[in-house]
Amino acid sequence: MSGSSGADARPLSPHLQVWRPHVTMAASITHRITGVALYFGTFLIAGWIIALATGADCYGAIEGILFSWVGSVILYLWAVAVLFHLVNGIRHLLWDGPNIGFDPGKASAVSVFNYAFAILGAAAIWFAAAGL
Amino acid sequence: MVQLTLPKNSTVRKGKTWPKPQGATNLRQFRIYRYNPEEGGNPRWDTYWVDMDKAGTMILDVLLYIKNNIDPTLAFRRSCREGVCGSCAMNIAGRNTIACTKGFDDLPKGVITISPLPSQPVVRDLIPDLTNFYAQHAYVQPYLKTDTPAPEKEWKQSEADREELNGLYECILCASCSTSCPSYWWNGDKYLGPAALLQAYRWLIDSRDEATGERLDDLEDPFKLYRCHTIMNCAQVCPKGLNPAKAIAKIKHMMVERVS
Repeated sequence: MSGSSGADARPLSPHLQVWRPHVTMAASITHRITGVALYFGTFLIAGWIIALATGADCYGAIEGILFSWVGSVILYLWAVAVLFHLVNGIRHLLWDGPNIGFDPGKASAVSVFNYAFAILGAAAIWFAAAGL
Repeated sequence: MVQLTLPKNSTVRKGKTWPKPQGATNLRQFRIYRYNPEEGGNPRWDTYWVDMDKAGTMILDVLLYIKNNIDPTLAFRRSCREGVCGSCAMNIAGRNTIACTKGFDDLPKGVITISPLPSQPVVRDLIPDLTNFYAQHAYVQPYLKTDTPAPEKEWKQSEADREELNGLYECILCASCSTSCPSYWWNGDKYLGPAALLQAYRWLIDSRDEATGERLDDLEDPFKLYRCHTIMNCAQVCPKGLNPAKAIAKIKHMMVERVS
């Protein structure tokens, strides 16, 4: 990285190995991970809708997968990803638009709120759907 | 490029455990990064026991205690010992800060790990090679640039315009922020990093500066400015309480405003 002589032989100092993460750092990587998860999750939801349009047999098969134990976990996590990416995305708009929300303490509090919103919100959707 | 693990020559091995000071009742354990270029080999974690009743109040005092009483070979930078020079910046208990203003009281319980500023080439022990960091600072041309002839006395500024510089001019170039940033860890050669960008904004927003357009041109590429993903580590660790993340967001805003 450095251009000075002997730099190639020099060790690189530890980074992730020693870092004690902040919740804002966790929220940032979670935003990215949920973004990727949504990309793949969309195929799942698209498959569900296509199966619904195709016919009863096809829908029954995919419903068997989605509402199995594993399928339910994936659906729940997908709902968490949707909500987290949504609420943290709004935060990104506030950062980049009016440039607000940069105070470290407040940014940490908002990060905690975003996690809680995603996890509890997905649970609320879950129970609402179960009640239908 | 993203590389989550350390290169082979950089993995830190278990090192020496130095003897406990005699007769001390208030001992605390420190794990400190050691690398000696003359010996070669991999860096190592050495363990020291420090008598906290005799070591003073700040982490810099701990390092000086070790150097004076236990191991004179421990190398680190320090100068002012009061938070204005930025020399003693290092990673203490997993967060970057300057050792001279970091008191023991603020630290988490248990063993305290002290290592050089993250993801930099290590010259020796706690001393990183900051050549790249300083080159990036030079790149943003941190000085007044004007076209109009210099006034007879000084370049004047209203109180309101001067206030714009508060929270920007106080930077001591300790590099805590830049080396706290994961984006800088992965792309430190192309992304300018929080410290240089805070400094860039300090001149962009200065009412007396007349090179705003050129300054923005110099930042306009996919890496130099836009690798900031608002991870916020910079603002979280700044020992002077400055907010590079906010300054960067404002530069991004200026970029948008000048094309719209």
